[in-house]
Amino acid sequence: MNTKIIKTLVKKEILDVFRDKKTVIMMLVVPVLLYPLIFIGAMTVVSMISSGMEKQTYRVAVDAQDEGAFLQKLEQAKEELQTQGSDDESSEAERDTEEATYELVLIDADSISDYEEALNAEEIDAYISGQMQDGRMQYDIYYLSSVTNSSYAKSIVMDIFDEYKEEMTKEKIIEAGLDVHEILEPVGYEGEDIASSEQSLGSIIGSILPFMLIVSLLMGTMYPAIDTTAGERERGTLETILTLPVTNRQLIVSKFLTVAMIGIISAMLNIISMGGIAFYMYQIMDLQSDAQAFDLMQFVPALLVCILAILAFSLFISAVTMCVTAFAKTYKEANNYITPLMLVVMFVGYIGFIPNIEFNQTMAMMPVANICLLIKNMLIFKIDYALIAIVLISNVAYALFAILFLSKIYDSEAILFGDGKAGMQLFEKRSNLKKGGVPSMSDVWFVFALTTMLFLYGGTILQVNYGLWGVFGSQMILLGVPLLVVWYTKKDMKQTYGLQKAKAAGYVGGFFQIIGMFCIMLVVSTLMIKLFPDSASNITNVFSELMDGSLVESLLVIAVTPAICEELLFRGVMFQSMKKRYRISTAIILVGVIFGLYHMSLVKFIPTGLLGAVLCYTAYKTGSIYPAMMMHFVNNALSVVISYFPEQIGKVFPIFYEELKLSESLILLGVGLILFSIGQIILRRSYGSNK
Amino acid sequence: MIKAEHLLKTFTKNEKKNKKIDINAVDDISLTVGEGEIVGILGPNGAGKTTLLRMLSKLMKPTSGLVSIKIGEEEITDDIEVKRHIGYLSNNTKLYGRLSTRELLQMLGVLYGMSEEETEKKISEICEVLSMENFMDNRIEKLSTGQTQRASIARCLVHNPQVYIFDEPTLGLDILSSAAIIEFMKKEREKGKTILYSTHYMEEAEYLCDRIIMIHQGKIISEGTPTELKQQTGKDNLRDVFAELIEREGIADEH
Repeated sequence: MNTKIIKTLVKKEILDVFRDKKTVIMMLVVPVLLYPLIFIGAMTVVSMISSGMEKQTYRVAVDAQDEGAFLQKLEQAKEELQTQGSDDESSEAERDTEEATYELVLIDADSISDYEEALNAEEIDAYISGQMQDGRMQYDIYYLSSVTNSSYAKSIVMDIFDEYKEEMTKEKIIEAGLDVHEILEPVGYEGEDIASSEQSLGSIIGSILPFMLIVSLLMGTMYPAIDTTAGERERGTLETILTLPVTNRQLIVSKFLTVAMIGIISAMLNIISMGGIAFYMYQIMDLQSDAQAFDLMQFVPALLVCILAILAFSLFISAVTMCVTAFAKTYKEANNYITPLMLVVMFVGYIGFIPNIEFNQTMAMMPVANICLLIKNMLIFKIDYALIAIVLISNVAYALFAILFLSKIYDSEAILFGDGKAGMQLFEKRSNLKKGGVPSMSDVWFVFALTTMLFLYGGTILQVNYGLWGVFGSQMILLGVPLLVVWYTKKDMKQTYGLQKAKAAGYVGGFFQIIGMFCIMLVVSTLMIKLFPDSASNITNVFSELMDGSLVESLLVIAVTPAICEELLFRGVMFQSMKKRYRISTAIILVGVIFGLYHMSLVKFIPTGLLGAVLCYTAYKTGSIYPAMMMHFVNNALSVVISYFPEQIGKVFPIFYEELKLSESLILLGVGLILFSIGQIILRRSYGSNK
Repeated sequence: MIKAEHLLKTFTKNEKKNKKIDINAVDDISLTVGEGEIVGILGPNGAGKTTLLRMLSKLMKPTSGLVSIKIGEEEITDDIEVKRHIGYLSNNTKLYGRLSTRELLQMLGVLYGMSEEETEKKISEICEVLSMENFMDNRIEKLSTGQTQRASIARCLVHNPQVYIFDEPTLGLDILSSAAIIEFMKKEREKGKTILYSTHYMEEAEYLCDRIIMIHQGKIISEGTPTELKQQTGKDNLRDVFAELIEREGIADEH
């Protein structure tokens, strides 16, 4: 790709964006001024509240049959408060200065005829009545929780009661001739925080910072994304740029780089602004109290990873926002499109605030959530290099995927000159659609993105809460979402899903192939487990949890359902649409890679990717989805059966349970390849070697 | 020279509620415009002029058919390479309002693969020809309509293209501004450039064009020099020729 052209285009985009006052204000001035303003605002409110509290007096009335015992205690507390307020040099009890900010006023209970009325009229803030009950005093404190002063008065009175109770307890113990200390504190205990001051600081920052960063990056990329896509269309310059000897991809890449760069600048400004305020607050606190000193050098690795995460996320979010805004014809329309995206991103971004969310490989692949958790974990010094790599790579991969999608859209004349729907029939009125055919590629990608999002979030929740049946539920997502779209766009079900009859040879060949593949995958998996032992143990855990149900249940959910649902999505909608538009080898590889990624595990990627490609090939060769379904079922059923009968099968085929030796691996690989080739030969004999 | 062979462009249109109809916006059009020639495309609104010109300048892909240009003996068909030799101007090719004309032209120079000196030389030349000195460094959004149109012409001139494709270049301009554009086209013809343009102004076409192609509903209905067209229909001005030809097609003009 010509860097000179990209550089010129980026320069043009940046000039164009930065000369728009609206954009500059939204993405640079607002974030930079926002934090200081919030800070000043918060300080003002705090000082207003505290100055308001200084003058506060609480009026309390006591009507108790204790011969004035508690009243006396109250008088004493009141006096203590006064001496503290006026001259605390000599005061023996060292209390917080805060407690001297109020005053108690005792109201004569006789002057109150109805305490409820008095409380409601706010003549008094608390009313205490006390009766003898079963040989002891029972006090009731009446207050109004709806009135702030009354609530405060109640808690002050409660504190005094605590003290009063303690004094009386001590008196009783002494009366009984026992040792006070021994009775009241038979054991001693104290919490000791061994977290370093850096760790506590990190955990505080870690819960807020990710959200702030995500929102600021979103805000920073939003306006340039709109400006370079919908804005360009609205101003009518799109056709001008298309007259130039520049490819669509160069155009998209330069727009994307511009948006990502501005996003990064904006995020950095945010961090600097936030950091500045934090530093200022730290300085103030430092003067007031002997705050712990922090070794800020300890945060350097976290900071570096944060910066990488910001870079990766800015690529991701720029690509995603551009995908959304590219569909809009005007600024206003783009704004409408982007609002739901913003809500979703912010909602997911809240994950940083939730304590105790486990950061594992699955989470590391969830867009938005992964960035939050990564930053959070880095700040509490939980460093896992594999997870860092997964987060960074998955963000970049999602961005690339989105950019590819975008350059496809930009190629279509519907979006350049037409109504802006880019062949997305999904957004057209159903009555306007023609019947038949397979879904358009734009629709397929959209369906896939939507299904993936639902599957990632909804499916995970289902699986965590309902185990085996949750798996069933998430499979239904895979089946249902595409089916709805196919129905809405009035596509030919038979064609879209490849629901054609297959010859018997198709099934026989498929069967040989899958048995062969099963052996090959076993060897490949063993190799992968050797390479990535950590992620492997993760999988076995998940898998054994799923095996709770009976064999029939497990077969139904783990073998039958995916054989239908996953096949209908991957080898159905996806492959059947792709093979019409791409070269057959491209379609097979693409579906294979997507199928591998869908299993969301480092270890499973290569074996399942291979399996996906073989299933595609069979579906292509036989022109039907049914042999692929059968193969998928056989493969999954074998795994289930093997894990259900370790003893019985172990006697015959110990290789399924023990670690494979090199010689065994080679034999298994050989057998697998032979079986696979037999399957291939059967398929080619019966369907012709090449179309 | 620019050549189109059997160009076809099909759009799917929503007709009423439940029907979708395929419409051939451009229906099997072949044409050739030689060097030093101005050819005018005439036709009522919706005849397919803009679609035809967009395909010729490679902004749109034809459903079928081929567009090629010939420079000397070299024939070029690659989209990007063809774009390099075409100056395309229409009412939809707006300029970047937040850039100045000079910035725009400098950027285009790089994108067309010109050297810096080459670009600067070309810019000062264009500046003189179109007398743009006093607003070269102003932001384009601040320019008047006439100035903007001159900046637009400068845009399609900067890479010294062999072929010009103009879609209604004089639409909505005052007499002075449109006269300047007409003069410009005449001068470029003298330099041996290939010019294809569409217009609604009959007098202008008659005065300027070497040949005229009339299209209606995506098809060429007549082609020839203004004189030939007049003889063909027996009318003495192009306006009547136009009306007569459309009428012969048996369809009322929507214009």
